[in-house]
Amino acid sequence: MPGLALEGFTILECGEMVGASYAAKLMADMGAEVIKIEPPGGDAARHRGPFPGGTPHPEKSGLYLYLNTNKRGVTLDLTAPHGQAVFHRLVGKADLLIHNVHPTRMAAHGLDYARLAGLNAGLVMTSITPFGLSGPRADYAAYDLTSWNAGGLCYLNGGGPGSEDLPPLRVFGQQSGFQAGVHAATASLAALFARFQDGHGQHIDFSVQECLMGISEFAGIMPTYADQIVVRFTGNKAIRPLDIMECKDGWIYVACVEEHQWQRFVDLMGNPDWADEELFKTRLDRAGNWDALQLFLEPWIREQSVDELYHQAQARRIPFAPVSTMGDLLHSEHLKVRGFFAEIAHPQAGVHTYPTAPHTMSETPWTLRRPAPCLGQHNTEVYTGLGMTEDELGRLQQAGII
Amino acid sequence: MRKPPLDGVRVADFCWAWAGPYGALQLAHLGAEVIRIESRARLCPTRQIPPWADNEPGMNRCGYFNQYNQGKRSLSLDLKQPEGIALAKRLVATSDIVIENFAGGVMEKMGLGYAVLRAIKPAVIMASLSGYGQTGPEKGYVSYGPPQVALSGMSALTGYRGDGPRQAGFSYGDPNGGVHGAYAIMCALLYRQKTGRGQYIDLSQREACAMLLPEAIMDYTMNGHQPPRMGNRDPYMAPHGVFRSQGDDAWVSIVVGTEDEWRQCCTAIGQPGLADDPRFATAAARKDNEDALEQMLTAWTQERTAHEATGTLQAAGVAAYPALNGREMLADPQVEARGTYVEHPHPEIGVRRHLGIPWKMSHTPCEVWRHAPTFGQDNDYVLTEVLGLGQAELAGLREKGVLR
Repeated sequence: MPGLALEGFTILECGEMVGASYAAKLMADMGAEVIKIEPPGGDAARHRGPFPGGTPHPEKSGLYLYLNTNKRGVTLDLTAPHGQAVFHRLVGKADLLIHNVHPTRMAAHGLDYARLAGLNAGLVMTSITPFGLSGPRADYAAYDLTSWNAGGLCYLNGGGPGSEDLPPLRVFGQQSGFQAGVHAATASLAALFARFQDGHGQHIDFSVQECLMGISEFAGIMPTYADQIVVRFTGNKAIRPLDIMECKDGWIYVACVEEHQWQRFVDLMGNPDWADEELFKTRLDRAGNWDALQLFLEPWIREQSVDELYHQAQARRIPFAPVSTMGDLLHSEHLKVRGFFAEIAHPQAGVHTYPTAPHTMSETPWTLRRPAPCLGQHNTEVYTGLGMTEDELGRLQQAGII
Repeated sequence: MRKPPLDGVRVADFCWAWAGPYGALQLAHLGAEVIRIESRARLCPTRQIPPWADNEPGMNRCGYFNQYNQGKRSLSLDLKQPEGIALAKRLVATSDIVIENFAGGVMEKMGLGYAVLRAIKPAVIMASLSGYGQTGPEKGYVSYGPPQVALSGMSALTGYRGDGPRQAGFSYGDPNGGVHGAYAIMCALLYRQKTGRGQYIDLSQREACAMLLPEAIMDYTMNGHQPPRMGNRDPYMAPHGVFRSQGDDAWVSIVVGTEDEWRQCCTAIGQPGLADDPRFATAAARKDNEDALEQMLTAWTQERTAHEATGTLQAAGVAAYPALNGREMLADPQVEARGTYVEHPHPEIGVRRHLGIPWKMSHTPCEVWRHAPTFGQDNDYVLTEVLGLGQAELAGLREKGVLR
């Protein structure tokens, strides 16, 4: 009988878009009872696509549906005094409150740790904010893209030889939010673990900017160790090929890190004469003379099909990888065997295929207990569970609080 | 003295390169005792690559190793000798967690697979982090961090409009796989606390990257549509970009998400009338006229530094920040004020600035207690205090060359 790793933990989530939502999704998917608190108008993610047929609908956002699997959903206006009174009753029963409400709006939303800890000394509260809760720029405004820049990651991507006029390039999507979510979820679970010692809750002040700086690889090291900065003009790679190149039916990542990998690649290409040139002798030479090497490689690679070249290279233990399209992922036999995707039925959005979890766990596998909630779907269930009467609920609804 | 949250949790860390070590780093940040097993015969690549402190090569002088192994201990063991394997098993017997990111099957070949380790320590939590995972037709495939960005679908979505797919600018698959592994380990630890049961975690870094692409994956599963590459633009918001500013390769990112913010932005850049210009009056209009919008904004940003532009826009409540380069990243006034940089004196390279822990806990404070270990720095501590060996045994192991 498979178990649920986080069974028994009650988690409240509020805020919008990705940061807190992804953290709470990871916990809900591992068995926690997550109650997502949305303002009466709904999470902003409901208004961002993709939507089936491209038609916006607050119950059909692919982003929202993915981010909120296994959660219960309630609506509650945290900025209204009556809303905060209800919130306090929820907090009284919660183990963790995780939010990404901006510091300038926390007080208005009743997100005051000292106050909430007075109601529940065991409460862990995690505040995910763009720059942390202290410091001169704590109140700066931010969106996902500006955070990716504040964390020093955007500066590293894009450009290329002769493309100095092109701006630093972000990675697709809401990457700052996802990184904040998974890191903050990890720290939050550690605080729940610590609670077994003394029952004490606490406040976690989580900075998205600092989190992103921490994954900057060479960029955060070069200034200190070599008095240099990493620039995105990728003409200066130390080893090559480590490049995305075009095939006849798509793109492939051509990677030869070790010398033996290059030798096998040359063999795979049928040992062309040019490969014997001194210019291409070592991986450092191949990087230094990349302009010339590219001229020989490109025509050959352009004749290949991505899939064949990928598997032929891997059969020789050369670490090539396809530049996968979404279709490639969905049709991958490997991902199918690993159970990475699952079909999930939602009462309004219908049946769609979703990613599940990036791992298998022998005792506590990913399980689906419910699809993402419709707006306010669990109001009655959750609020009557707090001991509220139908009358009270009716009054709150009339006042626009739920 | 209050203790960090994972105080008393011990991790036997067989990781190398970046993904595994980044995952174990999260556990060290949270206060676990992470003991990294290192081997001269299979020295971590991050001990062998520049940048070196002062450009002087040396395995304790590597920036990469020193950044991503802060707060861990190092035990050097020759895992090609039976005595080395025996000691590794003794360490596992006293550990709560085992983490590794070798290619599939390597731990088994060394006699350290999950079945063996579980027999030694039934409640052990073992996490294997690999590119493809331990099952499936491609499980034996060779993988590094950078190709995972392509393999996961991320590259096909990332790039300038009308241009080819791009990488991420760093080996994104590694830290992302590492932190998702650390998260799964925390779940397993809480489950064990409740049930006494350990378990095996098989994480795929490719899948961990794909978890970050729901907008595109769901667009495909809902509509059969592969989203086009759109540079720094957003499907809904405009302006949403990174704009040229004064100075050498200097840029500022700006995002306007609401109509209020747009009006404030227009005032801040000295053109309040723009807010009523029909080309830009609504988000949809700004999306339709985005080229003109970006040209106009660039005309303003390129006349000032990225920091000046940021100050002006932020004072008006508009989200902006310079595209920080590495030097700026290590001298950011906000991060400095929060005391997040770490500068422990290191025996070989002195004081160097490192990036620290991105969260602050009020009751169980986390801190980087020590710099990254020098190779084998903690042999005495681990072998005598953790494993209870006597001095004579230790001397014997040294003589036989087991501790290398």
